[in-house]
Amino acid sequence: MVTGYFRRAYSSFVAHVLDIPPRLLALLLFLLLLSFPIVNPPSSTLLILTTASLLAIFAASWDLLVGRTGQISLGHALFFGIGTYATGLLSYHLNWPIWVTIPLSVLVGFLAAVLIGFPCLRVKGHYLALVTMAFPIILIGLILYFKNITRGDAGIWGLPKFFPFLPYKQQFIAEYYFTLLLLFASGIILYKIANSKTGMVMVSILDDELASKACGVNITKYKLMAFAISGIFASLAGSVNAHLLQVANLASLRVTLSFMVIVWTIFGGLGTIYGPIVGVYILQVLDQYVLTKIVDVPTPWRIIIYSAIVIVFVLKWPRGLARFVTDKQEDLEEARDIDERGPRIWRTYKKKEKK
Amino acid sequence: MVEIELIQSILVYGAISGGMYALLALGFTLIYGVSDVINLAHGSLFMIGTYIFFVLATPYGGIQIGLLPALILAAIFVAVIGAVTFRLTVHPVIGDPLSIMVVTISFAMIIQESMVLGFGSYRQPVPSLAEGLATIWGVKVTYSKILAFVASLALFAILMTFVTKTKIGRAMRAVSQDREVAMLMGINTEMLYLLTMGISASLAAVAGMLITSSTAGVTYPHIWPQQLYLSFAVVILGGLGSIKGSLVGAFIISYVENTFVFAIDPIIADILNLPVGGSLSGAVIMATMLLVILVRPKGLFGKRVELEE
Repeated sequence: MVTGYFRRAYSSFVAHVLDIPPRLLALLLFLLLLSFPIVNPPSSTLLILTTASLLAIFAASWDLLVGRTGQISLGHALFFGIGTYATGLLSYHLNWPIWVTIPLSVLVGFLAAVLIGFPCLRVKGHYLALVTMAFPIILIGLILYFKNITRGDAGIWGLPKFFPFLPYKQQFIAEYYFTLLLLFASGIILYKIANSKTGMVMVSILDDELASKACGVNITKYKLMAFAISGIFASLAGSVNAHLLQVANLASLRVTLSFMVIVWTIFGGLGTIYGPIVGVYILQVLDQYVLTKIVDVPTPWRIIIYSAIVIVFVLKWPRGLARFVTDKQEDLEEARDIDERGPRIWRTYKKKEKK
Repeated sequence: MVEIELIQSILVYGAISGGMYALLALGFTLIYGVSDVINLAHGSLFMIGTYIFFVLATPYGGIQIGLLPALILAAIFVAVIGAVTFRLTVHPVIGDPLSIMVVTISFAMIIQESMVLGFGSYRQPVPSLAEGLATIWGVKVTYSKILAFVASLALFAILMTFVTKTKIGRAMRAVSQDREVAMLMGINTEMLYLLTMGISASLAAVAGMLITSSTAGVTYPHIWPQQLYLSFAVVILGGLGSIKGSLVGAFIISYVENTFVFAIDPIIADILNLPVGGSLSGAVIMATMLLVILVRPKGLFGKRVELEE
């Protein structure tokens, strides 16, 4: 009898909570994040989420490139690094203000993406993945070589802050909201692009390049477009991150950043745009907050536990978190077609719309 | 006269490092050829090998068993690690390149941090294979380097014979050409994957021990990305999955690198008035690889399949 009660409670939970499209769950997460500073968290916690927002833009931009056109990039940190160094060099050498350097570095990111997109059109699949990882290494080599301009290993310190006129504590809150709104805006733009006609054409390239070529799709144009859009948003994330941390150094081009973006996106759900955003938040909070502040394990153990969780998750749900939720929802809708009992909030809403 | 010495040292050092790079890339290209797996943990297997060698062949662990037994034991141990992790983590997601990348990179991170836990993140000495200097063609080379070069080429030749002459080797080539048909012909692909992964891992480990002991003589947990990138470049240049290609690619890469380091870098530094440093050599390797890929998108000896299915 007790188990029956639990089963009913569980099924009603499934019907009420999971019966929401994942898009709405992502929106709910955004509202939760929007109201987060009400509980007055310490600045370090806010900084974790601020960085997570920027990494989420970065992951979403990777997702547009890989999840839509299927051009696997193993060196996406290149665009992040280009954004960081463009803004860093402009403000260090020319002392230009923040609202000039960020748009300019986005422009540089766009140009770099088009420039790199051209040779990448020649190669496909695994070759493309391994070729793209060469670009960050070349850039790192150049940065280390021209020490007198880029300051080499030391990096460029003391970039201007976003809100220098605010008191110290308020700065963190302002930056938090700024990056969150930036994430919301870029997330919506990327989502709209991914689900527009352009995005559908890109998916056709992913599914069957030859067939879409035969249908008259200009493959070169769409592949380059995916590269350019991806480069724009990744360099935006990089340049904002540089001003946030007030430093432009080689950490923005690091190997792990290129690899972690794959982990975040696959964890969240490839090709969904909102999936990687949620994935970044969950994994960054797990890594930086749960395993650092709550459990407080030493760093090597933290990374081992984190990687083990990722491996187990990917083996169990290789389609990612967002796909898992959509699959569950589809199962439920299918089940409801057979069995008409239970609440149908979402369904009745749809029916009203039709009338 | 100086010019001739320069050319001599480029030729000698280029040949020696080319042999070792070929061994490093061989494992990577082998597992890709057979199972289409991009093993991002290849550099980590390289690193584990050096650490086991360090424990077994130096007074550190208290069990000093001599250089050759240590080398063989480390290779076997890494082969077992590689095969077991392949079966547990990569095999369930085989055929999905992105999931494989996530799993192998997480595995690489786990190995890196385990080594930090066990040995600390600082540099550990790797014993040299042999002491002393020899003079080859007017260039002074350590015996350790010559030994590593000879061992690399010998291993390469053994593997080449294994792949072309034995039954298992033929099965490997059959699977790499057409998986489904090979399966229909009664080849146990699962076992073949495990065997190939074992060989690939032990090759990575042996390459690790030979390279570290004959060059810098140290190992550290963060050594793997550099080695991984090097094997990427060699394999792409030669063509993914091609054994012959990895040999040719390794020699091209090593000659380009040595020519740059010995001859071109000082000239550029002189013109631009900058200090001479090896910081551009990685970039030059990658640029060479990109140039070759632009001319031949499947590498020098890659499979040239334009229309699939």
